[in-house]
Amino acid sequence: MAEELVTIIKTSEIPAGGIVAVDVRGTRVAVANVDGRYYAFDDACTHEQCSLTEMGELAGTTVTCTCHGSEFDVRTGKVLAPPATVPVKVYPTRVEGDALNVDI
Amino acid sequence: MAKAYVIVGGSLTGATAAITLREEGADGSITLIGAEREPPYERPLLSKGYLRGEVSFDKTLVRPAAFYAEHGIESLAGVRATRIDSAARFVELEDRRRVSFDVLLIATGGRNRRISIPGSELEGIYSLRTVEDADRIKAEIGAGRRVVVVGMGFIGSEVAASLRQKGLDVVAIEPAKTPLFRVLGEAVGQRIADLHRTHGVRTIFEDTVAAFAGTHRVARVITKGGLSLECDFVVAGIGIEPVVDILDGTGIKVDNGVVVDQYCQTSVPGIYAAGDVANHYHPVFERQIRVEHWHNAIKQGAAAARNMLGRAVPYDEIHWFWSDQYDANLQYAGYHSKWDELVVRGRLDSGSFLAFYINAGRIDAVVGLNRAKDVRRAIPLIKARRMLNLGQLQNESIDLRSLNAGD
Repeated sequence: MAEELVTIIKTSEIPAGGIVAVDVRGTRVAVANVDGRYYAFDDACTHEQCSLTEMGELAGTTVTCTCHGSEFDVRTGKVLAPPATVPVKVYPTRVEGDALNVDI
Repeated sequence: MAKAYVIVGGSLTGATAAITLREEGADGSITLIGAEREPPYERPLLSKGYLRGEVSFDKTLVRPAAFYAEHGIESLAGVRATRIDSAARFVELEDRRRVSFDVLLIATGGRNRRISIPGSELEGIYSLRTVEDADRIKAEIGAGRRVVVVGMGFIGSEVAASLRQKGLDVVAIEPAKTPLFRVLGEAVGQRIADLHRTHGVRTIFEDTVAAFAGTHRVARVITKGGLSLECDFVVAGIGIEPVVDILDGTGIKVDNGVVVDQYCQTSVPGIYAAGDVANHYHPVFERQIRVEHWHNAIKQGAAAARNMLGRAVPYDEIHWFWSDQYDANLQYAGYHSKWDELVVRGRLDSGSFLAFYINAGRIDAVVGLNRAKDVRRAIPLIKARRMLNLGQLQNESIDLRSLNAGD
């Protein structure tokens, strides 16, 4: 099945340094605003499925799941600190005007 | 010249040290000696998801079993180290093998304290540290089964919660006034007691177990206060003692565990200790501290490895841990043993609060119930060791992160 870019949110709705959750065809996706760059990734932490929108702290490009301390790189999904061992899935994003498109 | 790195203790601390040594360029052999048969695994799930049958053992592994051999780490599992010769530089194993080392890490952890009272030899009395312990308790789980949990520290509280969640009839008995009383104090401990009672645990405080009764198996717990509690089995969570037996005769200083400096080094050069067993000098709190938590196991295991490589990096991590009970997330950061003021952010009776343990105007530690973000935001405040305006800590409209920037 061809993947396509879906407009999921206006960039103005995501504050700098903030994370906002959006529902894309049944998948809960978190979108982080890192100094005007937008990164999209699965909202559920791969450790115990805490919501990264609700429990995540964003510092630079690192999101920390405060439930149990797992850290991920929002650009790649890579685990930076345990207890998570599985990377979080990331999705490409593209800004068109004030629309944020996510490739899912 | 290539060195021989040897690690005694094949749990999270030891495995993390071995992995760190290899990843950060150890030139030489790495040998990981562990008494347990399983590949290194993490213990937090044993009292929670694993005990409840929600996650498999694989999920607890530090690395897949094949990782160690693939990365040039020799894993000697299921064999106990019995003696260290600090002069001749070898570790002796129970099968008489000798493993020579240039640099040694002691990560022997702890063993559960045993209850020694009449009837404590009966069957059906368990404690929890290893996956085998967890499997024994798991085998007793069944809806309507009656368990008495002895001790409401972290392990006892989590086991009580997990067994209650599995539909067991749970009685928990604790000598102090509340769960976690010694660490958290009465005001916060009461909230944890409420949590357990709300979920249907019968809690008994300020009473202790005097005897277990039954024929082959435990059938009743008799308390000093005169209660007789019928049960199908018992789980005791009354703490651990550091495993230091193998240090006999080494000259390594032992006092509440293995005494190490801020570089994780013992009193004998080239021999290090980390994890539950290590009583370490903490440069932030300026005192010796021994902690028994997952976070320290990982962080200190890695720090010890770096120092074994000669990096001379002080271990100054602010200790942090979580305890999930039912749907509540309890977290603690810092270190305190006493406090002259308890400052609360939010309301203690609200199910979501932060409590700061203050000594002389500085935060030594913080505990949060369902306040994970605030706990994390408080860690830099603890590390800074600054005098703070305590009113600001209480003020929910002030983001704790904003208190870090200024002075």
